[in-house]
Amino acid sequence: MLPPPAAFYFPLEINTDLVKDGASVRTFGRLTSYVPEESKAVLSGQQSSAQCHVSVQTTLVEPFQPILGAQYFVLGEIEKTDGLSGVILHARALTCVDGVDLSLMQQAIVEQRRFFKERET
Amino acid sequence: MAVNDPGGADADAEEPPSMLWGLDPVFSAYSRLYITDILRMKESRQVPGVYFYKNHPLFQVDVLGTVVYKRERDDFYCYGVDDSTGVINCLCWKDEKWRDQGEPTKCRDPSGSSRGFNIEDELKRLKEAERQSTQLEIGDLLRIRGTVKTSRDAREIKATCFYKVSDPVMAVQISRMLEMPQLYRKCYDEPFQMPSDDLGGTEAGGSSHFHYLLSRSVLTLKEFLSEKEVARFRPYDVEFLLHPLIQSSSAEQESDQPRTSLATQIRKLLKETLSVLQDEGQIFRKIRTQDEVYNVTEQDKDLHTAIKDILREDTKREKYAEKGCHVLHILSSMRQRYSQNLSREVLEVALTFLECKSDIISTTEAHYIVL
Repeated sequence: MLPPPAAFYFPLEINTDLVKDGASVRTFGRLTSYVPEESKAVLSGQQSSAQCHVSVQTTLVEPFQPILGAQYFVLGEIEKTDGLSGVILHARALTCVDGVDLSLMQQAIVEQRRFFKERET
Repeated sequence: MAVNDPGGADADAEEPPSMLWGLDPVFSAYSRLYITDILRMKESRQVPGVYFYKNHPLFQVDVLGTVVYKRERDDFYCYGVDDSTGVINCLCWKDEKWRDQGEPTKCRDPSGSSRGFNIEDELKRLKEAERQSTQLEIGDLLRIRGTVKTSRDAREIKATCFYKVSDPVMAVQISRMLEMPQLYRKCYDEPFQMPSDDLGGTEAGGSSHFHYLLSRSVLTLKEFLSEKEVARFRPYDVEFLLHPLIQSSSAEQESDQPRTSLATQIRKLLKETLSVLQDEGQIFRKIRTQDEVYNVTEQDKDLHTAIKDILREDTKREKYAEKGCHVLHILSSMRQRYSQNLSREVLEVALTFLECKSDIISTTEAHYIVL
């Protein structure tokens, strides 16, 4: 009945093997494109001078006010298809968080991960 | 790698006894735990409704997370909250006062220009704002403080307080993420120290054991003196009270400790007990003679009368009429009139006793007048 918890991932990690197919994730990025007819959006992230893109399926969170160039926070399930579409994030929640302190956010995620890793040992 | 089971680790280890739970500050607080820990905590075997994280007893939590599930009934909302470590159901009862609200009312003055402060309108707006802060949609951020409950095998939180958090730049969530590991390290992962660990009945040297005996004997003697309304006594009158204490303790003592005779132990304990009670002001020796007679401060009628007489006489004088007599003044008068050996502690115990009986009253912290 309740969906599974969505752990935090950096946009760069979404397209890698770190995230399994069907996993629930939270991530963030800058809205660079939005096609309302197909309910597709693209969030871009920048991490250590590497650009990455996350494709987001926005069917469940429409209508929303798209602000191109603004930072967005998204929560949803990953779908990895071997075909041309690549990795798609089916959003269950999409919030504009423009103005967020990205470096502090990164620090917080790293700190939380470090704590959980310490616990396992 | 062993399965990570922080909340339930040492599940077979003894739970701290429920009498001591109040000593753990975590027990009285709304603990900020990760939802995954809340879901995995073991319920106490002593008292259902209380749960253990490591060996901390707790039943109240404070959670911040995204709403990922919503169900609404007439009386309550059920929000599923996800804090990235777990998802839990939160039962949020609707407030009675909003039930009769009906449609959200519009402001009486649509033109926007305020012709003064209309309190009714403002109150309506306040109520409406409060109501809005409890209506959330999927994707909103919810802060909830409540008690942990297990119903039908599912853990949930019954909210005592909940509201929608406005977090436009994720500052609240980020600071929570940074704060939680620190809270865990400093607080939740630190074991709950129970005081019984210090008492150590069979410690070598036994001094802590003696202190334990001493505190028991002081209490026993105090209770006896007040129950039987003893005004005066000699040491051998009350010696019998200490016998059960010594007997039960010698049964626990190690055999290699030097065996002092029962009589010596009792005498030593009695001497220390009387000394402690004298220092506290509960008993005193009116006259220092060979005969060891102790007066019990709260039962000594002559002492009380003497104090009241002093206060009555002196407050007639202009100097003391309004403010009353200072403790030290009373003490010096009592030493002249009643007993040279009177200590300040004894006097303070007597004054407090008289004040509780409403015979006298303190005008300041150290001044008294008679009623």
